[in-house]
Amino acid sequence: MLSGIDYFVVIAYITGIMLLGFYFRRFIASSEDYFLGGRSLPFWAIGMSIVVSDIGAMDFVGVSGQAYRYGISVGNFDWIGSVPAMLLAAFIFIPYFWRGGMYTIPEYLGRRYNQKVRTIASLTWIIFFAVDLGVLFWASAVLLNVLMGWPVWLSILITAIVVGLYTYFGGITAVVMTDVVQLVIMFVGGLTLTFLGFHAVGGFDGLVDKIGAMGPEYRDHFDLIQPADTKTPFPWTGILFGLTFVMANAYMIGNQTIVQRCLTAKNEWHAKASMIFASGLKMLVPILVLFPGLMAIILHPGLEDGDQALPMMIKSILPPGLIGLMFSAFFAGLMSSVDSLLNSTATLFTKDIYEPYIKKDATDKHYLKVGKMTTLVLLLVGVATSPISGKFPGIYVAIQTFLSYFQGPLFAILLLGMFWKRGTQWGGLSGLLIGIGFATVLNTFKGAFFTIEDPFLYVSWWSFVAGFFITIVVSLFTSPHPDKRLVGLVYRSTPRKDKSK
Amino acid sequence: MLNFDWLAGISLENAKIIFLVLFVLIGVLILFIPNDYIFQGLEKNKRRWWNNLKFWAIGVLGLLFFTYYIF
Repeated sequence: MLSGIDYFVVIAYITGIMLLGFYFRRFIASSEDYFLGGRSLPFWAIGMSIVVSDIGAMDFVGVSGQAYRYGISVGNFDWIGSVPAMLLAAFIFIPYFWRGGMYTIPEYLGRRYNQKVRTIASLTWIIFFAVDLGVLFWASAVLLNVLMGWPVWLSILITAIVVGLYTYFGGITAVVMTDVVQLVIMFVGGLTLTFLGFHAVGGFDGLVDKIGAMGPEYRDHFDLIQPADTKTPFPWTGILFGLTFVMANAYMIGNQTIVQRCLTAKNEWHAKASMIFASGLKMLVPILVLFPGLMAIILHPGLEDGDQALPMMIKSILPPGLIGLMFSAFFAGLMSSVDSLLNSTATLFTKDIYEPYIKKDATDKHYLKVGKMTTLVLLLVGVATSPISGKFPGIYVAIQTFLSYFQGPLFAILLLGMFWKRGTQWGGLSGLLIGIGFATVLNTFKGAFFTIEDPFLYVSWWSFVAGFFITIVVSLFTSPHPDKRLVGLVYRSTPRKDKSK
Repeated sequence: MLNFDWLAGISLENAKIIFLVLFVLIGVLILFIPNDYIFQGLEKNKRRWWNNLKFWAIGVLGLLFFTYYIF
């Protein structure tokens, strides 16, 4: 499928990214440089990095496929399922994390509740990220093989070498700065496909008219809000309660790969601005990934598998050269996801597990070395385990389901930790553990509890509610923390001092 | 109960209004944030109106409102 000029574009992209990432090794002198970029990065780079880390190669194909099947309602995940949560993160949570000089979200939970909560949250994320790495390698490589005929082992090897080199040597600064280029590649590739696609279907009006004329099953394809009893996975009740109130907040406030970027900001204003800038970019993401799926309904009707929509669009719409650019965009999605997982997992392990449990009070150089070695080990584990994940076809979905077990209760204790002074260490610990247990029960017996096939939005909401109330009840029966311990950890617990005077 | 059947009677038009009201509410809450908090981290003599993150946030919320109003 790739022509000579396409190969040139892809090779130029891969070489350029490796050299750019490698350049940033010169800025690494301490563990703070490695994990937090020396707290020196500007808002625009961080904002772009947040967005690109969130879009994987799988998302390009998956979201287009869902748009092909269900219509525009899948856009809820990037719009209402991101923007309000990002604003809440920007104005309330990020400033507290940044001022506290924190490296990880579990570190906040440890200071606010106790060390056990920190360890449980950190270990959960580490296990999730480590397993996800192998699965991501394999699933994305298979995708690239299907789309472009690129051998699976070659995609994994190239990604591992390129990302491994710059992440190992350059830390989060290299991750963020390469993400900036990856975002530009993705947006140029995606917008070109959308623009040429609109041209092919007769513009936006042509798209709406032609899909509307295709029959009653396409009647709801341009409705963001779907009925509560819809058979799609996106009823408005699930979107509002599960996605907007819980999953989006848990992701934007509690996910290490997202929040760690804001902690690299050069000052508090840049930390807040990065998340708001990212929310603006998020508004544009559906244009890249959703509209090609809708256009495929007209240009390639009757596809059995919706996930074929985007590959078909690329083949039929893009000229040589631009196919190489789109292929680079897929690679960018894979690389940005892998580099985020590597650096964030290394940070979690070094700061939350190694430093408190394995070697306290070591030199900063030692922790820097541990961070680098963890990055390398994770990369090798990811590459080694990726073929295993190929033997379990449902593992990608299983991992996403596991995330929905964890996110509701985690957000419940983060929210109460930030806004309720009376929340205690035992309340937080019980809320987290019982909430995860409740989500597991709901998901295991979902056929008995829910009427829709894939109720992950509802599971998130109800496990959040369980975690929230358990935390409150247990807190009220246990001793409160002294006010002094909560300074800087609970909203408005500290009078703000304007250091800029 | 777990499936939110008790909200099934709400029409799609009213559901849309709920979403739009939520965006307006978030916008109003943002407007109440003190400017000093918004500018925290910037030196006083470098604070310009375009650095006011409230405007950025209201701009994005406006786009979101418009998108949900249209679709």
